Formats: sequence, C-alpha cells, structure tokens
Amino acid sequence: MENQMFEILRYGIYGGSISLILIGLYAALTKRSLIKIVIGLSIVDGGIHLLLIAIGYVKNGTAPIFSPGFENAVDRMVDPVPQALVLTAIVIGFAVTAVALSLVIRLYRHHHTLEIDEIKNLKW
Amino acid sequence: MIYLIFVIFLGGAALTWLSGKIHPILRDVVFLASLIVPSVLFYMNVEVGQTVSFSLIGYKLSWGINYLGYLFSYIVVGLGVLAGFYAIPAMKGKKNLGFFYSNFVLSIMSMLGILFSRDLISFFIFWEIMTWSSYLMVVFQGKDVQKVGIKYFVFSAIGAYAMLMAIVIIYSLNQSMMISDLVSSFASFDPTMQWLIPILLLVGFGVKSAMMPLHVWASGSYSHAPMAYTSIFSGALSKMGIYGMVIVMVSLVPIIPEGFWLRETIAWLGAITAVGGTLWAVAQDDAKKLLAYSSVAQLGYIIVGVAVGTPLAMLAALFMAVMHGLFKGALFMVTGAVERQTGTSNFTEVTGLIRKMPWTFLAALMSIIALAGIPPLGGFVGKWMLYESLIGSSHYILVIVIFFSSTAAFLYCYKFLFGFFLGQEEKEWAHVKEAPAMMVVPMLLLAFGTFVLGAFPGLILDPINAGMQEMGFASTQGKYWEMSMLFNEWGDQIMLQPILYAIIAVFAFFAIFLTIKGFKKTRYVTTKDISSSGEVPLEHENLTFSVNFFQPFLRTVEPLMKRQIDKYYNEFGRGMEALFDFTRRVYTGNGQTYALYAVIFIVILLMFKNTLFGL
Amino acid sequence: MVGSPVLLIAIPLLAAFMIPLLGMIWKELVRIIPGLVLAFMMISSASMLMYVTNNGTIIQTLAGWEAPWGINLVFSPLTAFLATLMTFMGFIVWLYSYRFKRNVDFEPAKKYFIFLMMLVAGAVGIVITGDIFNQFVFIEITGISAYALTAFYTGRNSAEASFKYLLMGALSSSALLIAIAIIYSQLGTLNMADIASKIHLMPAGYKVTALIFFMMGIGIEAEIFPLNGWAPDAYTEAPGPIGAAFAGIVVKAGVYAMVRMVFTLFDVSGAMDILLTIGLITLIVAETAAIRQEKLKRMLAYSSIGQMGLVFVAFGIGTLEGVYAALFLMLNHAIIKPLLFLSGSQLVFNSKEKLIKEVNGLGKYMPFTAVLFALGSFAIVGLPPFAGFWSKLSVLTAAANEGMLLIIALILIVSVIEIVYYFRVVNRIYFFDKAEDLIPQKPRVNAVIAMSVLGAIILIIGFNPDVVSTVLHNASADLMDTPQYIKNVLSAGQSLTN
Repeated sequence: MENQMFEILRYGIYGGSISLILIGLYAALTKRSLIKIVIGLSIVDGGIHLLLIAIGYVKNGTAPIFSPGFENAVDRMVDPVPQALVLTAIVIGFAVTAVALSLVIRLYRHHHTLEIDEIKNLKW
Repeated sequence: MIYLIFVIFLGGAALTWLSGKIHPILRDVVFLASLIVPSVLFYMNVEVGQTVSFSLIGYKLSWGINYLGYLFSYIVVGLGVLAGFYAIPAMKGKKNLGFFYSNFVLSIMSMLGILFSRDLISFFIFWEIMTWSSYLMVVFQGKDVQKVGIKYFVFSAIGAYAMLMAIVIIYSLNQSMMISDLVSSFASFDPTMQWLIPILLLVGFGVKSAMMPLHVWASGSYSHAPMAYTSIFSGALSKMGIYGMVIVMVSLVPIIPEGFWLRETIAWLGAITAVGGTLWAVAQDDAKKLLAYSSVAQLGYIIVGVAVGTPLAMLAALFMAVMHGLFKGALFMVTGAVERQTGTSNFTEVTGLIRKMPWTFLAALMSIIALAGIPPLGGFVGKWMLYESLIGSSHYILVIVIFFSSTAAFLYCYKFLFGFFLGQEEKEWAHVKEAPAMMVVPMLLLAFGTFVLGAFPGLILDPINAGMQEMGFASTQGKYWEMSMLFNEWGDQIMLQPILYAIIAVFAFFAIFLTIKGFKKTRYVTTKDISSSGEVPLEHENLTFSVNFFQPFLRTVEPLMKRQIDKYYNEFGRGMEALFDFTRRVYTGNGQTYALYAVIFIVILLMFKNTLFGL
Repeated sequence: MVGSPVLLIAIPLLAAFMIPLLGMIWKELVRIIPGLVLAFMMISSASMLMYVTNNGTIIQTLAGWEAPWGINLVFSPLTAFLATLMTFMGFIVWLYSYRFKRNVDFEPAKKYFIFLMMLVAGAVGIVITGDIFNQFVFIEITGISAYALTAFYTGRNSAEASFKYLLMGALSSSALLIAIAIIYSQLGTLNMADIASKIHLMPAGYKVTALIFFMMGIGIEAEIFPLNGWAPDAYTEAPGPIGAAFAGIVVKAGVYAMVRMVFTLFDVSGAMDILLTIGLITLIVAETAAIRQEKLKRMLAYSSIGQMGLVFVAFGIGTLEGVYAALFLMLNHAIIKPLLFLSGSQLVFNSKEKLIKEVNGLGKYMPFTAVLFALGSFAIVGLPPFAGFWSKLSVLTAAANEGMLLIIALILIVSVIEIVYYFRVVNRIYFFDKAEDLIPQKPRVNAVIAMSVLGAIILIIGFNPDVVSTVLHNASADLMDTPQYIKNVLSAGQSLTN
C-alpha cells in the first residue's frame, strides 16, 4: 500500500513535471510577448529539473551525505548524480535566462515593441 | 618528363600572371615561352605508350599518351601556339592581360592533360580545369556574364557531373579508375549499367561538342570570348568532346546489347545539330555568331561520323575534326582581325575590305572553301569520305539530311566572305589597314594547312590510322583510307593527284585573272552611290548588301527555326528560381515559427518512430 | 607532446575570466592573451594529434575518478583531428579580428575575445569529452557565448538574430536534458563508453525516444533542416569572423556530437537512414534557398547549412568510406567556408545593406580579397584542382559503392545550383562596374595573413590530398570502431591522471 502510494506519487511527479514542460512549451510557442516566451522557457527548464530530481529519488530518501547517525543509510540515500546535474542545469538555465532578458531589453530599445511578430527584419 | 611538361605549363601560367604586373613585354615573352617550351618538350621527348603512374588518396592514376591522343595533340598544340602568337597583337591594349594569358596557358595545359590521362580521375580533373579556364575566358570581356557565362558554366557543369556520376559508378563496379580496365571489364557489367554509363559519358562529351540539345551555350560563349581564344575554343576545345565520344563509341558502345540504337540516336542528334546549326548560322548578321553556329553545325557532322562508327566514317570524322580545327581557327582569327581593325564584326556595317585587308581575305577565302567542302581544299576530302561511309552503311536518310545541311552551309559561307570583304567600299572604312603580320601569319598558316591536307591527306590520315588501329578497328595492316573510292581511284598513299592539279590550276587561273583585271578600269563605289528612279538614299539608311541577306530563304525555313530549345531552358530556369523563391519562405523570420518547426520535428519523429527506426 | 587534453579546456576558460583583470594592467593584453592561448591550444592539440596517430588514444580522467564514475576526456584520432581543426580555426579567427575598426556600433573588444575563447573551449569540450552531461554543459557554454557573439554589433538587427538563436538553443538544451534523463533513468550512467556498452539492455522504445530527443537537441546546433531557422540570421548578423567561427567550429562540434550519438552510443537500426534523409532535405532546402538570396553573408549561411546537409548524407551512407568522405567534407568546409566568410565580409565591409549587388566590380579595387573569395568559391563548388573536389569525389564514390544512384544524382543537381549562385557573385566581383559611392576596403595585414593561410591550405589539399588522408583514415576508423572505443575508455589503457 505504502509502495503503491509511493509509485503513484512518483508518477504524479513525473506527470507534473511533464505538464510543466508542456505548459512552458505552450507559452513559448503561442505567446506573442518576448517576456512571456522567456518565462515559458524557464518553466520548461523547471519542469525538466523536477523530472531529473524525480528520477533520482528513492523511497524515504535522505541526503546522500555520510553524517553521524546516517552511516548505514546507503540504501536510502537518493541518487546524488541527478542532483548534481540539476544544480548545474539550474545555473545554466539562469545564465540563459539572463542572456535572454538582456536581449529582450536590446530588442525593445531597437524595435520599441515586445511583439515577436513585429520583429521580423531577418527572413527568407 | 611528363611531369615536367605539366609543371612548366602550370609554372608558366603563374609566372605569366605575375610578370603581367611587371612589364607587358616580359609577360608576352613568358606567355609564349610557357606555351612553346612544353610543346617542344612534348614532341621531342614523349613517345606514344610512355606512361607514368602515381597514386593519390587511394586512386591509382596514370599519365601517358596514345596514338589517338597524339592525333588530337596536333590540333591542341598547333592551334594553341598559333593562337598564342595571334593573341599578342590581337589583345593589345586590353586590361587584365596577365589573367587572360595565364588562363590561355591553363586551357592548353588542361587539353593536353585530357589527352594524357589514362585514368578517369585525371581525365575529370583536367576536364574541369578546361571548363573553368574557358569559362573565365568567356566572361573575360564582361559582356552578358550573368546570362551567357552562367549558361555556359551550368551546361558544362551538367555535362561534367553526368560524367562524374559515370566515373563513380564505374569505380564502384570496377574498383579501378583506369580507362583500360573500364574497356576490358565493360562487357561484364550488367545491362542497365552498360546503358547508363555510356549515356552519362555522352552527355558529358555532348555538352562540350555542342550536340543538340546541349548546344545552347555555344553561340553566346563562342562569340563572347575574345576571338584569339575562340579560335582554340571552337577549334580545339570542342574536339575534346569528340575525343571522349570516340572513346565511348569505339570502346564501349559496341559491347552494349542492342547498342545499335544508341549509335543511331547519337548519329541523328548529330545530323539535327548540323541542320539546326547551319540554319541558324545563315540567319546571323554578326560574324562571331555566324561562326559559332557554323561550329555547332560542323561538330554535328563530326558527331555523325563518330556515331556511325564504321572505319571509314570514323576516319572521315577524325579527318574533319582536324580540318575543322584548322579552318575554324583561321576564320575566328579573321573575324578577330576584322574586328580589331574596324571595331565591329557585323556584316551590315563592315563591307568591302578586300583591298584593305588582302591577306586576311586570302586566309578567309581558303578557310571558307575548306569549310564548304569545295574540292581543291581539305574540307572536301572529309565530306566525301563521310558521304561515302554513310551510303556504304545504308544511312540514306542521314545522307540526305547531311547533304541538305552542307548545301545550306554554302549560304553562310558566302555571306561571311561577301559580308566582310566584297561589296561596295564604305567611306567609313577608308582608313582601315591590314592587320599586323603577327596576326596574319598564324591564320595564313592555318589556311595553308587546309591546302596541304587537301593535296596530301595522307599526312594526317597516317596518324589517324595509327589511332584507329590502336582503338581496335579490324586490325588490318593496311591503310583505312584505301576503303574510300577517293583514294582507290584518284590517289595513292599520301597524295591526291587530281586535287593537287586542281589546286595548281585554280591558282594559275587566279593569277591570270588578276593580271587581266589589272588592265581593266574599275570604279569603286559606296553603297550610297546609287540612284534608283531618281530617289537618292538618305544618309542613315543602311544599304549594305548584308542587310536581310537571305530573307527569302529564311522565310522558307522559318517554321523550322521557331522552336528554339534555348527558350525552353530559360523558362525552365526561371520556373525553378520562382519555385525556390517560394520554398525559401519556410524561413518566415519569426522565431516562434522556428521553435514550432522544432516541436513538429520531434512530434513527427516520436509518432512515426516505429516505422522510421524499424522497431 | 605539448600539454594535455584538459588544458585545452581549462586554459581558455581561465584566460577568458582573467582577461578583464589583465585588461586593467595594459589594454593591449585583451587582444594578445587570447592569441597566445589559442596558439597554445592549436600547437598542443596538433602535437597530441601526432602522438595519438602514433600511439593510440589518450584517455584522461579528471579528479582521479575512473571511467564509468568520473568524467573523462577522450583524445582519440577522431576527436584529436576535430580539436586540432577547431583550435586552428579559432586561431585564424583571432588573427583576422585582432584589430577591428568597424563602421557600426559594437560592444567592447574584451567581450569579443572572452566569448571567442569560451566558444572555442566549449566546442573543443563538446568534442573531447567522454560524458554526455559534460557534453551538455559544453554545448551550453558554446551556445551562450555564440548568442553573445551574435549580438556583438549593437547597431544592426543582431539582437533579433541572437534571440532566435537563443530561443532555439533553449529548446535544444531542454531536449538534451530530457534525453539525458531518459538514459540515466534506464542505465544509471552518463559515461559515453559505459552507455555504449550497456545500450542493448535498454528497452527499444526508451532507446529510440532518447535518440530522438538527442537528435533534436543536437540537431539545432548541427543545423539540420527544420531546426536551422536561426542559422541564416545568426550568420548574417554576427561579425564576419564569427560567421567563420560558426561555420568552422560550432557546427562541426554539433555534427560530431550527432554522429557520436548515432554511431557509438545508440545501436538503433534505421538511424543512418534518418541521418541520410535529413541530410538530403537540408541540402536541398538550403541550397535552393541560397540561390535567391540578396545578402552575401546570408547566401553563404545557407550554403553552409547545405554543406552540413551533405556531411550528414555522407555519414548516413554508413560505411567506412562514407564516414571518411564526411570527415573530409567537414575538413574542407571548415577551411573554405571561413575563407568565404572572412573575404566576403571584407568585400561588403563598407556597404550598408551587405547586398550581393554591392560587391560589383570590387575585383579591381580589392584584388587580393577578391581572388581569395573566388578561390573559395571555386573550391566550395568542388572544381578541381582545389580542395573541395576531393571531398565531393569521396562522397560520390562512397555513395556509388552502396549503389545509391539517386542520391548521387541529387547531390550533383544541387551542386549545379551551388555553381549558379557562387559564380553569379564571382562574376559580379570581376565583371561588373563598381557602384560610385562605395569605398573599397583595404584589408589589414592580420586579415590578409589569416585569409592567405586558408587559401594556401585549399591549394595544398587540392594538389596533394594525401597530406590529410592518413589523419582522416584514422579518424574515420576510430568513429566506426565502437568496441575499441569502449575498451579504450573503460580500461583506461593509457590513462594520464592528474
């Protein structure tokens, strides 16, 4: 029963992260405002980070650190690798968002609009 | 030694360019030296059958010359050197001459390289060098480069790539690039390939030899290149197509089951080329265009001979190839000389130059006689043998077509001769002088060559004979030309006695005629010197004879000429560009659309992953 | 042997962050240090390439963790070849842009050099790393520096191009992370060799899904057809040398990552055919789009995309010969296309719109640049005796040996299109009259040297392709030999620990 609950929870998290990805994608693909597109991309990132963390989680998990009182917790330790990956990915996502926002500022200064439809000087 | 020849050519080309930046005379000297030195080395030191081999990224390559190549090398080297001499005064005063001359050398090198190639890779490399060096010559004067130049290059590229496709197919079947291996193992290929390979190769060679329907580049390119170069462009470079065609027709086509049809098709294409070229030549008012179409027509005869491929037809074709190199080289030089002296090459503007440029006229006259195939000069021998071989191999309809075309050719021959040199003298051209000796001598030498080969055809039939025996024509020890009635009845091994006598007689007649004429009083008039029913012509009216020269004839053949293949090609090109203009609109410029493409891409792959990845 | 693989990444990254500090001491250091760093990288990777050619693959483990657990760097014949090529191109790009006086507004020079070094370091990292997550990080480093470099000129539409690139790049990184998540959840490892040895354990559905996400993620960097909308814009709006760097460095890294996935990591049947099909579509769409372009750099960009399509076609043939041909194409393209970008951006330097028709008649006024552009055009369309011919020939023979006649015909038809648009430009340069108001640009000495080095290489490879054939043969054998790769990495045969 407890296991079942755990599995349901796990798939719930998977489902949640996938729906985050889809929501973000929806925003990035349909919203006309540059800012909203950037937000959408960030949501996609967040969803993926959640997915990665969910993969590494084990039941009743603890932090993967050997500390007093947890010497025998190896079985319960969550997988540290996805966490490291997610930390890295968050940093990268942050950097990308920063670059994106600075570009949005530049675009706004140049075109005086945030509508992506109107920023089409380069085509074909 | 073989390497040395090519190294000198290449180095000569580079040095010519560099020395052009230092001093014009130095450049001219370097240019001539880089043509003559390797040519001399070639004839002194290289013997038939001598080869060098090396390998490059896994392909075994080999260079050496055979008898057939040796025959064509006469055209290439002879014409190249003469045109080189001609070019120096002809091109004087133009810009970028270092570039022109170094391209000239590269052209000659590449043609010789084609003849030296015993493997397909070097053949293709030299072929492409020939293509782009001649392309640079076509656009050299900067006229219509986007139309004429690109058209030439596109057709050349289509031909070359057809050839390249054949080459890689051959390599995949044979694992060898040697031409001799291709010939020896061709019989073991499967029939599809046996058809595909020769057709692809013939497309490649057909482009260079201006075969219908691949000829549309020829008129523009021949007339846009400087005449000094066009003489080898039409005289020698187009023969490279013939050279390749000979190899295909002799070595590969007989092996194909039912290959007979390929022969007939090519022969008919050649005949159509001859007729079409002739009719178009008649319609031209510009000497360059006229000669360009005439080249197309003449190459058509040669293609017919090569395609029919009986020993006599092949003999005729090769003989005509050499003759065409001589007289067409000379005629383009004549046009160049007239253009240099008068500034135009249009018949409706230039008339009556016979007294101003007598030596040029002599060269033109002899070449035209040779072109028309009138007995005393060499053109006759070739045409005779061609007719005889066609009748002998029962191609009666083909003979009629060819005969029609060669009769119609008289019209443009006459027009060329008359347009420039005869007719009334215009005041405008009163100051015109004879071209410099350095231009006149090469064309006279070429014209004289037609005379020599008319009287002593054996001089060139001997090498042709050697080439044909090497190609594996029924290996009799005798001479092939004994098959022709011409030689059986009237001549011996080398000489055609009646023709020799005829030539002497003609010259004697001319001498007498000129002497008598000298006593007569002649009044030279201009075109405006007429009064018909009291009407005095206006000053700006163009009354030269060449205006609407063959109008009645052209009106008769008009329906034939209406359908220009050129138009279809142009429309096709425009249509394609419009299509491309439409398809490139997938790049809408909207970043979101691009993102949407990415999502669609992944969705499609995910949806069809089972079929796509074979799960 | 000079240096070690890890220094190829560590030194440029270190130098990139030191530059602002050093710039305070002496401004010129901002320009000199990157040159020294890139020169060191070039020499170091060339010497390691020689070492690798003679002694076999170098595996370097980082921080003492052995292969399946830690990150390791693989310097095999293939990666050594690509790393050498990239660092060389990086050096050329630095040399070309050592001093730039521009007629448009731009960001401070130090940013340019910082991002250039990060770009090269990232691209080299993509190639030499043996770990997929590490590769993801390097892809992001390359990507972010590429976005920044694209937007380097402030006055033009560069921000727009950069934003499109970023949008696609963000999608690409998401796809990559999903793929990595799938692989890690199934196999519990991120090491490429380890994945390759265990991939048969993975259920086919997961495997293919992961591969598809990888294809999308890397395909955006590698400019395959539906994913390459950003590329023409970025090439056009980035500074000329950066266009050269994209064509010579970034795309090559993307292509490497893609084929490493398909050839080594995933044993999926049909992936080759997908590569082939995608390559063909990319080739045709891009080349047909190029013929109608009005801007010079945009035309070059489409041509570059098309060439990448051809590379994928060659890889998609799937035989050793095909791989050899593809690597040869990559080499030639990495030399020729930068030459075209560099000389092309000189030609349109002083024109406002950078249109093709503005190069009219410049052959007379900028003879050296024009000759090099013409040489590049001749080479890229594959006219002998220049470099491009040999790679085209090897693609065609590889295809012919597999009996793919239709593909040969398509490649050749597209080559005709290529000839049309390149020769239209060459004709304009030489045989048209110059516009009155256009001032010809005299290239600086460093630009001349950079371009003539590339031109010389084109001629050398053209006349004697054997100078590169050994390296290419080793590299292609390396890519095809997956068991050897796994063995090399996991047993860490000649490991260099540090």
